[in-house]
Amino acid sequence: MKILAASGNWNLFIGRIHPLIVHLPIGILIIAFVLALLSRSSKRSGLRAALPLLLLAAALSAIASCAAGYLLSLDGGYDEQLLNTHLWLGIGVAVSSTLLYLLTVLNKLPRLQLPLFVVLLLLVSAAGHYGGSLTHGDDYLTQAMPPALQAFAGQQKAADNAPAYTNIADARLYEDLIAPVLSSRCYGCHNAQKLKGGLRLESVALIRKGGEHGPVMKDSLPEESELFKRLVLPDNDEHRMPPKGKPQLSPREVELLYWWIAQGAPTGKTVKELKPNTRIQLVLEAMTPGKALDHNEFVPEATSSSPDKKAIAALATKGVKVLPVAASSPYVSVSCVNAPGFSDADMALLHPLRAQLIWLDLSGTRITDAALPGIAQLSALTRLELKHTGIKGAAGTSLAACQELRYLNMSGTACSSAFLAGLGKNKKLRQLYLYQANTDAPTLRQLQQQLPKLAIDTGGYQLEKLASDTIIYKKKVV
Amino acid sequence: MAKHDKLLREANEETLRYITRRHFLLDCVTGLGAAALGSLLTGCGSSVKPVDFSADPMAPRAPHFPGRAKSVIYLHMAGAPSQLELFDYKPELQKLHNQLCPPSLLEGKKFAFIRGVPKMLGPQAIFSQHGESRAWVSDHLPHFATMADEVSFLKAVQTDQFNHGPAQLLMQTGNARLGRPSIGSWVTYGLGTENSNLPGFVVLTSGGKTPDAGKSVWGSGFLPSVYQGVQCRTKGDPVLFLTDPDGMNRDLRKQSIEAINDINRQEYENFGDPETVARIAQYELAYKMQISVPDVMDISKEPAYIHELYGTQPGKESFANNCLLARKLVEKGVRFVQLYDWGWDSHGTDENLAIDYGFRNKCREIDRPVAALLKDLKQRGLLDETLVIWGGEFGRTPMQENRDGKDMPYLGRDHHVEAFTMWMAGAGIKKGFSWGETDEIGYAAVKGKVAINDIHATILQQLGFDHEKLIYQFQGRPFRLTDVGGHVITPILA
Ligand code: HEC
Repeated sequence: MKILAASGNWNLFIGRIHPLIVHLPIGILIIAFVLALLSRSSKRSGLRAALPLLLLAAALSAIASCAAGYLLSLDGGYDEQLLNTHLWLGIGVAVSSTLLYLLTVLNKLPRLQLPLFVVLLLLVSAAGHYGGSLTHGDDYLTQAMPPALQAFAGQQKAADNAPAYTNIADARLYEDLIAPVLSSRCYGCHNAQKLKGGLRLESVALIRKGGEHGPVMKDSLPEESELFKRLVLPDNDEHRMPPKGKPQLSPREVELLYWWIAQGAPTGKTVKELKPNTRIQLVLEAMTPGKALDHNEFVPEATSSSPDKKAIAALATKGVKVLPVAASSPYVSVSCVNAPGFSDADMALLHPLRAQLIWLDLSGTRITDAALPGIAQLSALTRLELKHTGIKGAAGTSLAACQELRYLNMSGTACSSAFLAGLGKNKKLRQLYLYQANTDAPTLRQLQQQLPKLAIDTGGYQLEKLASDTIIYKKKVV
Repeated sequence: MAKHDKLLREANEETLRYITRRHFLLDCVTGLGAAALGSLLTGCGSSVKPVDFSADPMAPRAPHFPGRAKSVIYLHMAGAPSQLELFDYKPELQKLHNQLCPPSLLEGKKFAFIRGVPKMLGPQAIFSQHGESRAWVSDHLPHFATMADEVSFLKAVQTDQFNHGPAQLLMQTGNARLGRPSIGSWVTYGLGTENSNLPGFVVLTSGGKTPDAGKSVWGSGFLPSVYQGVQCRTKGDPVLFLTDPDGMNRDLRKQSIEAINDINRQEYENFGDPETVARIAQYELAYKMQISVPDVMDISKEPAYIHELYGTQPGKESFANNCLLARKLVEKGVRFVQLYDWGWDSHGTDENLAIDYGFRNKCREIDRPVAALLKDLKQRGLLDETLVIWGGEFGRTPMQENRDGKDMPYLGRDHHVEAFTMWMAGAGIKKGFSWGETDEIGYAAVKGKVAINDIHATILQQLGFDHEKLIYQFQGRPFRLTDVGGHVITPILA
């Protein structure tokens, strides 16, 4: 065992026993309290004899916990404010349990015994709560709370943590993006009081000053700066920052720090002014507030009324499945994979769903141009698949009313050039598939000019024939 | 159910014949105990909803949030291809070629076969950059290289299993030990399947062998067995035991299945075992599949230029045929298509498993089909809603294998867990992107590390699931595919 090895020492070792022994005074005090209550009835007054011993044990273990806790706190990396509160509450417990022990042994002020017990238990609970927040984070409990309780507990955290910028391009790189990271992950050990490695990180000037081994940042050279290098050391390297077991930087934060150093550690400059390269652009995009993981541009942001149950049942009898796009969404998708017989006459069944129907797949069904007016009324559609149908797009038909349409698949149809030209009115259209369909070049060129953001895919891809396609690698037999 | 009375009575009598006096006494004792225990435990299982056997367990269901992917095609290269000859270009490793491996790379490490001090093995391929993304792809994959701008590479995937079986299980079920459901099972459990005539989870194998971990890599673990993968074959009957036996026509088949299912329903009413519901659904699906599967599995009707694109030859068992089938299945609404291609274990023990011979042949076999699959999905507008994943179960060492400390007859690399490359494409994955980096010799991951359950979290994410909420109660605790880990790899999401 290398208890005294470089990464450990007696202080830290004893400190780490703190989480183990803190539970002793808690348990002992609770038992003592219960006994004290019970012993008030004359039948059980014999229990009183146990109190002095219990209270002595509680006081001693509380003092030991305080000592070990103090040693642990020297290791750093904790939220200063939380730590202070926890520390003083812990000392409070130790002092008042000692007081209670003395009063009990000396049999002084018996009336104060119960009130003091109550105060003690309150102190213990509070100290325990802050101790938990120190190790598990102060949102440990609230995170797990059922929503109803959270509302009751008045969760304001989200608002407190909301970034000061709305558009990431306007965020100041150091002040809004780098400093908060250093503050939450590094200040705990690198501040005026702690000075681990002789280094303070609370301002750029302090960072430039460096630590006990000299400068930690070489301007514009992240790979040669300790400030960056230590973040990407293997997890169990003793020089890794933050050290093993402490909350780590996310890969994105590391990238940002790298970029900041590479830019020469500027202050007061916004992201826009610093002209991010594509790689950083991606990191920044992901950090843009409001871009949630479940964001999907094929689903409207506004909500809608819930879909008509009867209409859904009527479609089900035809083998057409109507499904919400997500468990709690009013928007639905309709697929006819199991209903190849779906025809123009059935289009009316879709109408009651026109406010909610956003993804429609009519591929391989028997619909023809006669279904187009019906489709055009489904104004919420964002995805429409008409693959391998009889749609021809005769004169007078159009999808211009489907203004939300982003994806249209007409593969395997004989749609007319006029119909395709008419798609120029669908300003939000981004993807158009015309594999084995009309690919009239002038029309498509014109459409592309009208909608520069539209990707038109006419397919028909082939792969080159290469000499290497037929080489079989074999050892030459001599 | 008058018409089945006779059958039922027969079944009952048959069961009774096996019960002896001893059984009876034993049942009395254990039965009483179990009844008592059952009443004690009622609180435990209450979160499990009773199964409604009129409901189809494969009926399509909505995910947690709107997903980007409707289907998944997972191309698993069983045996683990070398990232150092395909995507992870390491010129520094070339400089160390044939030199003894520095002890720092070996200290405290365990390898499957490397013993003593091996030599370093420089990249055995010529690399160049491709597409607008300037992605490094070697000359072993000239066709795939043309599609580099469609995919996101994950260059620093890590695993903790260095033997094929456990590593494949970890990759496919999230756990290195037997008994967990595979990704495809979780996905069909969560989403059901669109096409009611086809299985939701289809498995296709090539390369002559099934994966080392056996069929458990597409098993349903503790999920009801309707969710297990259905293995389809390109040679002979597409699904084994699906054709009617001699002398039985389709009508008779239908009647017998109806009779069996009626009895199963009564069985379910008596015992409430969800496996009975699974069995009913399987009988019904099998009956429908007799028509639908041979149809969709028949690639001979595909036009000539499609065969040219993929390099397919109908009637053979090949990775190319499986790629084409994968596209057809996804087009028909199959949820999860899992391909396994065997033969990537390039240790250098023989010519087929040599980095400089067999490995190159394997690369040729998959290069055109993979590129063709991506192109074909793209032109049909399917790539937008189909997540394609490529990878092995681990990577290969930058050292040359020296099995038992001896020189090998051919060039080979040992199993490597610390960093390997996978890629994903389609369904909301960034195009032309690369995430993660290895050190200058490709030994360790340094940036953008990805764990196996991160991959799973990302797959579920693209299908619309919060991987922490797709759970199944089993033996008194909730289980998930990502167990207690998993982070969505957000940098690769478009
Ligand atoms: C748990 C406490 C702790 C936290 C949190 C922490 N450090 Fe440190 N840091 C240390 C200790 C202890 C040393 C000195 C020992 C060493 O050099 O590894 C040190 C040394 C350093 C040094 C070298 C200073 C020198 O000149 O030797 C740098 C640079 C550094 N830390 C950066 C950081 C950064 C950046 C963060 C936040 C991402 C961070 N540290 C978070 C404890 C911590």
